[in-house]
Amino acid sequence: MKNNIKLATILAIFITFISCDDKIDVEVPEASPRLVIEASLDWEKGTLGNDQTIKLSTSTSFFENTLNTSVIGAMVKVTNNDTNAVFNFVDQNDGTYTVNNFVPVLNGSYTLEVVYDGEVYLATENLTPITGINEVFQSLEGGFDEELLDVNITYNDPAPLGNFYMIRMQEVGDLFPIIETRSDEFTNGNVQEEFFEKEDDDEDPTEQFNPGDEVNIKLYGISERYYNFITLLIEQYDSAGNPFATTPAEIRGNCINTTNAANYAFGYFRVTEFDQVDYIFQ
Amino acid sequence: MKNKIIWICLLMSTFLVAQEKFSVSGTIKDQKNGETLFGATVYLKGTTNGAITNEYGFFSLTAKKGTYTLVVSFLGYENITKEITLDVDQTINFEIKEASTSLETVVIEAEESERLNIRKPQMSVSKLNAATIKQMPVVLGEVDIIKSIQLLPGVTSGGEGTAGFNVRGGAADQNLVLLDEAIIYNTSHFFGFFSVFNADAIKDIKLYKGDIPAKFGGRVSSVLDVRQKDGNSKNFEVNGGVGLISSRLALEGPMFNKKGSFLVAGRTSYAHLFMPLIEEIKDDKISFYDLNLKTNYEINENNRIYLSGYFGRDVFDLSQFIQNRYGNTSANLRWNHIFSEKLFSNLSLIYSKYNYELVLDFIKLDWVSDIQNFNIKYDLRYYTSDKLKLDFGVSGISYNFNPGEIKPSDPTSTINARQLDKKRAFEGGVYVSAEHELTDKLSAQYGLRLSTFNRLGGQILSDYANDLPVVYNSEIGIYEEGEEIGTTDYGRSESIKTFANLEPRLGLSYQLNDDSSVKASFTRTVQYLHLLSNTSSVTPLDVWAPSGKYIQPQKSNQYAAGYYRNFKDKTYSLEVEAYYKNVDNRIDYIDGSDLIGTNNIETEILNGEARAYGLEILFRKSKGKFTGWFAYTLSKSEQRALGGNVGGPGINNGDWYNTPFDRTHDISVTGNYELNEKWKFGVNFIYQTGRPVTYPDGQYQYEGLSIASFDARNANRLPAYHRLDFSATFTPTKNKNRRWQSEWVFGVYNAYARRNAASVSFVQDFDTGENEARRISVFGSFIPSITYNFKF
Repeated sequence: MKNNIKLATILAIFITFISCDDKIDVEVPEASPRLVIEASLDWEKGTLGNDQTIKLSTSTSFFENTLNTSVIGAMVKVTNNDTNAVFNFVDQNDGTYTVNNFVPVLNGSYTLEVVYDGEVYLATENLTPITGINEVFQSLEGGFDEELLDVNITYNDPAPLGNFYMIRMQEVGDLFPIIETRSDEFTNGNVQEEFFEKEDDDEDPTEQFNPGDEVNIKLYGISERYYNFITLLIEQYDSAGNPFATTPAEIRGNCINTTNAANYAFGYFRVTEFDQVDYIFQ
Repeated sequence: MKNKIIWICLLMSTFLVAQEKFSVSGTIKDQKNGETLFGATVYLKGTTNGAITNEYGFFSLTAKKGTYTLVVSFLGYENITKEITLDVDQTINFEIKEASTSLETVVIEAEESERLNIRKPQMSVSKLNAATIKQMPVVLGEVDIIKSIQLLPGVTSGGEGTAGFNVRGGAADQNLVLLDEAIIYNTSHFFGFFSVFNADAIKDIKLYKGDIPAKFGGRVSSVLDVRQKDGNSKNFEVNGGVGLISSRLALEGPMFNKKGSFLVAGRTSYAHLFMPLIEEIKDDKISFYDLNLKTNYEINENNRIYLSGYFGRDVFDLSQFIQNRYGNTSANLRWNHIFSEKLFSNLSLIYSKYNYELVLDFIKLDWVSDIQNFNIKYDLRYYTSDKLKLDFGVSGISYNFNPGEIKPSDPTSTINARQLDKKRAFEGGVYVSAEHELTDKLSAQYGLRLSTFNRLGGQILSDYANDLPVVYNSEIGIYEEGEEIGTTDYGRSESIKTFANLEPRLGLSYQLNDDSSVKASFTRTVQYLHLLSNTSSVTPLDVWAPSGKYIQPQKSNQYAAGYYRNFKDKTYSLEVEAYYKNVDNRIDYIDGSDLIGTNNIETEILNGEARAYGLEILFRKSKGKFTGWFAYTLSKSEQRALGGNVGGPGINNGDWYNTPFDRTHDISVTGNYELNEKWKFGVNFIYQTGRPVTYPDGQYQYEGLSIASFDARNANRLPAYHRLDFSATFTPTKNKNRRWQSEWVFGVYNAYARRNAASVSFVQDFDTGENEARRISVFGSFIPSITYNFKF
């Protein structure tokens, strides 16, 4: 009898969550390549922040798997708009451009200039400060599932409204990070809490967090405009196509092509302060 | 100018009455249960003089002094004829009997006697009765009014598990859905799997896709008028059913010494009763239920009072994660008063509310929102002469909007309590409409509605630099929030903004011969409420917003023309209609707009427009053992939003783009076959062009992730949607001559197990890093069902 009841229930639940998911072949449109500027000048709390890297690449068709897209031979420089100090990034011939004498100034204004293929790209951004991570701990409660381990950080939000955060968590050994963004719109002035939990997978229990797993969590202070950019980017990354998600759209960063506006670049020039913590699950 | 013509027509028609004519009026009821019949025909044999009963079963017709044979007919019922002498105004009530031989049962009820259907100027309307709807194959045996109307041409939906329906390329929020005249804001349970209408409590439904009569207003796309049963006034009756998902029970019977009747119907899903027994889900609860009530009392021949109510809820609790409850509540008190044989009136006091509650445990957030309205309505119908009938009335709706209240769900929450600005508004309407036989062949229905909308104060609004809540950032090429420069506090007695609009409605019918006619119509409608939704499908969380300082009312013009024909002694009929409509002030959302919890919604939207056009063909067979129809729609539905005074090219570069409800081809076939007294079979087949979606046109690496890039909105399409359903109804022979009647309904939904894509998502495989397209199908296989229905 109990089995029958279970069957009926499962059937009913099944109705609600009956959906099935499979991989299909789809023809997608193909746009011509654009320059991608990943200019993230991130200054870790308690360091000098002299070493910085900017990555340049090009976009490809959506299903392209050989990603040989490094951009070589571009001119990359960053100017501190307050001091007029110029930092010339050196082409490493692998798509990265580096400096080792960058001087970060909290709330300082910086301009990025990239010259590539005869076109000039410009972007301006302020270095957004952050209070730092208060503590990191693991827990079972909280999170989506009370049987799964999750990792939490807390940090203080300053009293004025309008602070924005990006939190990037990556488990050692994982190919991809998990990125979350937060605004203090609903939680202004409070101690903020953020948790990460991985879904359980009956077939592969190593998927979820287990004792001994090591994670790295970075907390960035970001500008409101970057918050809008990265939030939408992550939202579309997570749920493109979901009928309950917003219609996906082109996400425009802050790098403007001053030579040919239509040939704008993907990516963003961000300047942030960040704090990070490593944690090993007990 | 238009007004002048109408007044002249009205005046002319009153002169025509100056001959010696008399009226006969009355009510037509079903002999078995005393239900009043809507749409029955009464006519004088050998003349073109006829009338159709209204929603309350009332008719009135006028003819010259003389002796006539009066015929009462209604499809599926036996005709009644009666000799009458018209020498004085008189009242005659009729009770008619359902056709006895079940083989003759007519499944699809035509609007009225076909003779008049062809003549009447009303077009773009479909009426279905509950019996028809109950015979259609349905998912999991749950009879569903919203799904049944999707089988009609010009009506589509976003597919399984999406709420609402789309009429002639319009959005779901452009449908006025009425249950006993009360506005229903959310039409579905379980996020769209089932409709909120319990078929056991429903008498009939009428869907106006265009040519909307002047008595309706407030939505630009369609009116779905759902009427509850009055309740059996002759005998006590119990109807019920047990299905896989839900069970139903309806009680009805006479009251007040057979001067009235009542109906109480309940329906509930019951999976939640078993859920505590299973360890994994013992703390979860997923259910829905609804309750329909109706009672009426006939004070005397000229006065009748009705009270009806509805309460429905969805409960979706996943322990420690989410608690979600929402539903509609409505009530309506009505008073029918017959002033004379020629003047019928109805006064309604109506309340309706939709509320939504969500608790997200994992971020300790508690969210509540609702919309409610009080509505007073007075409608009159004056049967001026045999050639002219007048409808006129007034209505007033007072709205209260609570777009969202956010609270911490427990003391440790980091959420700060917050109330989004509550809003108030008043919508008024006055209308007059005439149904006029201009010549033997030409009839017209013309009317005018004056609608007003007053967005009332009692809230603070933001002011923006240059009065622009949205600005164009020409450097980056995106739309962004405008700069707030201050606020204005509007007192409760102040008006924030008022609107007034004239809405002319015109329908013409020209009869080519006894069996065919052509019709044309023009409808102007204005909609003052907007459902804020930037997703492909509406969700229960979506919030309604009134027009006001920053949001303009939607205004639509629809032009339609059609050809109608009956064949083979009205066994077959053909309807062909073409339409074109445009909607001004359709709000559109800027890229990346965030609507949830946003107080100043004006910073996320641009003023856009929409247009739709199409051709609809409906061929049906409504007599005999086999009945059913074939419907085909060829259509287009687009929208655009230009930058206007905000600057910039607009959304999607200012280009027209497909709305999510654009379906190039839409084919529906539905059939019923009555094999014998024991077995009946039903079949549906549906084919629709895939829903417009936006596919990626490239990828790039950012933050170590493969990010998709997108271009034009909705330029791609999901694969076509199609499916086949069957049902078989078995009525045991032992039913004969006994009070307990029962039937078994077996069904198969999605018979050939097509995996229709509800969506295609483009994701990066976390193990390989490769991009792939993944299809999500709501039903991955065929879905069998079994239902047991009983009646005693």
